[in-house]
Amino acid sequence: MKDKLDQLRQEFLQDLQQVHNQTTLHELELKFLSRKGALSKMLHSLKELDLSARQQFGKLANNLKIELQNKFTEKEATLNINQTHSQNIDPTLPGFNFPQGHFNPITLMQNKLEDLFTSLGFMVLDGPELESEYFNFTALNIPASHPARDMQDTFYIDYPNEHQEYDLLMRTQTSPMQIRAMQKYGAPLRAIIPGRCFRNEATDSRHEHTFYQLEGIVIDKKINFAHLKSFLEIVGQEMFGAKTKLRMRPKFFPFVEPGNNGEYTCFLCQGKGCRVCKYTGWLEIVGAGLVHPRVLEAGGIDPKIYSGLAFGFGLNRLAMLKYNIDDVRLFNSGDLRFLEQF
Amino acid sequence: MYISLNWLKNFVKIPAKIKPTTIAEELSTHTVEVENLIKQSAQFDKIVVGQVLELEKHPNADRLHLVVVDVKDTKLKIVCGANNLKLGQKVPVSLIGAHLPTGLEIQESIIRGEKSQGMICAEDELGLGRDHQGILVLNDRARVGETFAHYLEANDIILEIDNKSLSNRPDLLNHYGLAREISAIFDLPLKTYDDFLKLDEGVLSSASNKLAVKIEASDLCLRYSAIKIDNIEIKESPDWLKNSLIAVNQRPVNNIVDLTNYVMLECGQPLHAFDAQKIKKIIVRRAHHQETIKTLDDQERVLTNKDLVISSDLAPLAIAGLIGGQDSEITNTTQTIILEAANFLASNIRQTSQRLGLRTEASVRFEKSLDPELTLIALKRFLTLLKKVSPQVKIASTLFDYYPQPPQAINIDLDLQWLQDKIGQEIPRKTVINNLQRLGFIINSEQENILKVTVPSWRATKDVHIPEDLVEEVLRLYGYGQIKSQLPVLELKLPEINQKRLLERKIKNILVWSSALNEAYNYSFVGETQLKKLKIDFSQYLKLVNPLSSIHNLLRQSLVPGLINNIKINQFQETNFGFFELESVFFRAPGNQLKNLESTATLPYQEKHLGIILTGTDDLFFRLKGIVDNLLKNIMTPQTNCEFLPATNIPNWAQKDLAVKIVVRGKEIGLLALVLPEINKNFNLKKPVAIAEINFDLLAQLVFSLPGSDYRGIPKYPAVRRDISFVVNSEILYNDLRGEIIDFHPLLVNVELFDVYQGDKLELGKKSLAFHLSYQSSDRTLRAVEVDQVQKNLIQHLNQKFSIKLRDF
Ligand SMILES: [Zn+2]
Repeated sequence: MKDKLDQLRQEFLQDLQQVHNQTTLHELELKFLSRKGALSKMLHSLKELDLSARQQFGKLANNLKIELQNKFTEKEATLNINQTHSQNIDPTLPGFNFPQGHFNPITLMQNKLEDLFTSLGFMVLDGPELESEYFNFTALNIPASHPARDMQDTFYIDYPNEHQEYDLLMRTQTSPMQIRAMQKYGAPLRAIIPGRCFRNEATDSRHEHTFYQLEGIVIDKKINFAHLKSFLEIVGQEMFGAKTKLRMRPKFFPFVEPGNNGEYTCFLCQGKGCRVCKYTGWLEIVGAGLVHPRVLEAGGIDPKIYSGLAFGFGLNRLAMLKYNIDDVRLFNSGDLRFLEQF
Repeated sequence: MYISLNWLKNFVKIPAKIKPTTIAEELSTHTVEVENLIKQSAQFDKIVVGQVLELEKHPNADRLHLVVVDVKDTKLKIVCGANNLKLGQKVPVSLIGAHLPTGLEIQESIIRGEKSQGMICAEDELGLGRDHQGILVLNDRARVGETFAHYLEANDIILEIDNKSLSNRPDLLNHYGLAREISAIFDLPLKTYDDFLKLDEGVLSSASNKLAVKIEASDLCLRYSAIKIDNIEIKESPDWLKNSLIAVNQRPVNNIVDLTNYVMLECGQPLHAFDAQKIKKIIVRRAHHQETIKTLDDQERVLTNKDLVISSDLAPLAIAGLIGGQDSEITNTTQTIILEAANFLASNIRQTSQRLGLRTEASVRFEKSLDPELTLIALKRFLTLLKKVSPQVKIASTLFDYYPQPPQAINIDLDLQWLQDKIGQEIPRKTVINNLQRLGFIINSEQENILKVTVPSWRATKDVHIPEDLVEEVLRLYGYGQIKSQLPVLELKLPEINQKRLLERKIKNILVWSSALNEAYNYSFVGETQLKKLKIDFSQYLKLVNPLSSIHNLLRQSLVPGLINNIKINQFQETNFGFFELESVFFRAPGNQLKNLESTATLPYQEKHLGIILTGTDDLFFRLKGIVDNLLKNIMTPQTNCEFLPATNIPNWAQKDLAVKIVVRGKEIGLLALVLPEINKNFNLKKPVAIAEINFDLLAQLVFSLPGSDYRGIPKYPAVRRDISFVVNSEILYNDLRGEIIDFHPLLVNVELFDVYQGDKLELGKKSLAFHLSYQSSDRTLRAVEVDQVQKNLIQHLNQKFSIKLRDF
């Protein structure tokens, strides 16, 4: 009996090798696996054996049945794959064309930073782009004689006040919103202010009269320099990777004291020095400081009780670094060949 | 500004182990940015000492010579125009590839048919002086083939300092000030400047003649020190003086001018020397209206009564703090000078400098508020050096020193606990005191926890006033890197969410991702030409006082001009495309943001608009309607019914019959229109253009005031669908037909247009429309007869109202 089983197995395997298409596969199925096939007949003939032999060979026959079934299914699967091939369809042809739109890279940069700071409990505020001298300069401790107030740096609006003075301008920074926010919300305060700013400056590949800033402010009791440093580190790590280091240097801004420049290790060369970082290994990215007491006062906040920190980034510069963009004018150019890359 | 390391070393001894790169780095992290370290020798790169071997006339040019010079490795043929050439002379030779300070790059050339392989240089071409009479002849020390830098002993290292980062540090625009910082940073001893003022006792009072000076504009002149000096002999400066100036990019002129410059670069006080010959009296006064002066740069300058001048009794001698006049210029025949060391009001100097468009070494310093204590110090330093350079000079007047109100010393109480709170970390008391002292601050008394600090005069003019200023001083010297960063512990609070910003973001996402539009950032400024082409009236547009150009001189009230431009510049690359922009526009009307805190005046009205533009081949108008409809459904609810109704207020650039107002929930929020062909022509646009402009602020209000929408259960009973198709007069609008149908009967729950036809198969002036109609009840399954009856009534109704003619399929 055992011999018969082995023989059946051999025959099946031999025939299986000859199967190359659906027809021969079907023939194989009829011959061995169908109700009238060889295997069924074999199982039937077991009934004629005595009990102990039936038990012994029944098991063997069953195993054989499972094996043949599996081999058959396997063959069927390979045949199905080969069949698709045989219809000669090129699967590398392109999919349907869905037209794509594109964001301005400044928007992408701004969204990323907004998400970071809202996750830290900051409000996101907007301010007017056409501002007054008072909020843009005076309240920020920038006196009338300061160079920044010159006509050659600031766009003034031809809409004089009752004393025939030009006291309206296109904001040169997002900072006037610091004062408006302090006036509106008081302390404690945690906010970022992204937005469009203006500078009366002829444009070339490195200068733009319209640019984008993102500024942050935290006011609370006992806000200190160590806190400022920590916020700047977080931003650097978020923007340029976890290993990014921060270096701070003194820098004068009238609305903070102390005032700083923050530099991050150049992410292009990992601080080794390259063309972009002018071979210093550092990229100057952020202006920062502790809020000047006079600015807090202008915002209606008592500097004896509260202190604050503030920092600001140029979004153009961040985007230029991040995407290796070499001409600042591209952001406002509306050139599709540029936008299509984002 | 250029700072010479050799010069600094006069004041602070820098150990060899402190490399120049370290100095630059530490100055950058503690004081001011050093942009560059320049080897002085680099400026003479590819310039060597050569010897004239052969000299003959150029065959084709009378004034030129053919010279052969030996530069040790090789012999060069050079064409040279100088007439002081002699055989055997040693001369500076610029080789091919050398860059001269004048900007000239030396290249091999053919001059009148003769090859020239370099250039023999004159003094001015090397930036060493003004002489252009002939080539510079070198002395016996010169060895053939050595580099010119080596011959000059130009071994200095120059620090290039970023002037902008000095805006609040008038004390740093000079060598002594930076030496002071270096001494503080590296804790090295600093020589006192008194050591450099070595005047014999009584020199300043050796003459008895009084100098006649009258200060009329006392509000603009804080201090005026001056003295007359006789027996002056104008000549070339000695080498040490010339070399010091050359090292920091200053061109030597003559001994007197060079000395005034030297002292300024050393201690920061600008000096001015007048030829005293014609001066009987000095008057410091405001200029007369339209008074003129011919200045040293050979310009006739017209002054106003806001400018300060130094004048004789006859005419102005100098524009105070800015530039001298030609009348009193030091010349080769000058014998007597009046030396001025003054302190002028910074803001006034700045104003005049701005108005004249003239910045000078002097004005750059004065406009930062110089320490008035400096005038006498600089004057003494000048005399000390003058005695050294020209021992024969004589003091010819008493010292004049007008100084009515020496500023009061600034004293600051520095609470150490407060300091620690500001920094976030304790800096040992001893370190705090030491840091401040190294920078010249005086610690008067040390109470338990409060330091009484006096600010040195050179930091007191505008830089250091309040305790916060001292925090910076302590911190920057201690090193920002030494402070351990630490996030603050803040109260956990839900921030006010800026819904408008989130809505902006959502709109941008929808337009980019689902409508395949591109995000434009266009300028806030527009120009008249552009608006004229769009036939937009700009009489009420806000103007800039000082625009960069006439194409950007008005503040936009619409996003349309910018969007049109987006199409224009891309139309040659693409055919079917679109842009959107979400930004501010500005109006000549009071807005709602306060202008200041003292009055109720407000800023001009500003609002945000959303502009969308499409160009391409077909169905632009309806594609744009689809985009707007899809956007509104997405930001509001899928049930939002966005209506496009015939517009009444149609801009001049729009096609009247294809301009609709966008209405949502009964509120008009914007306009959608096809641009007129003639406007297309004005801008050379190749394809039709459709534009939608929506008031984002109004839209946001609608979105935020949406009533909570209730879910309606899925219908239990099936809907019955019937189609209806009819012909109707073309001028009858879809909008009206649809309204009439949907309102006709409560069982009619949905009306959907599926076909519109207008063409040869129909009579002229007719169109055919086909709708799917859905009938449904919430409490029963509708029977066919019931639906048929309503449909019949509907057709009758439409017939009465619009004279429709049914069509068969
Ligand atoms: Zn780098």
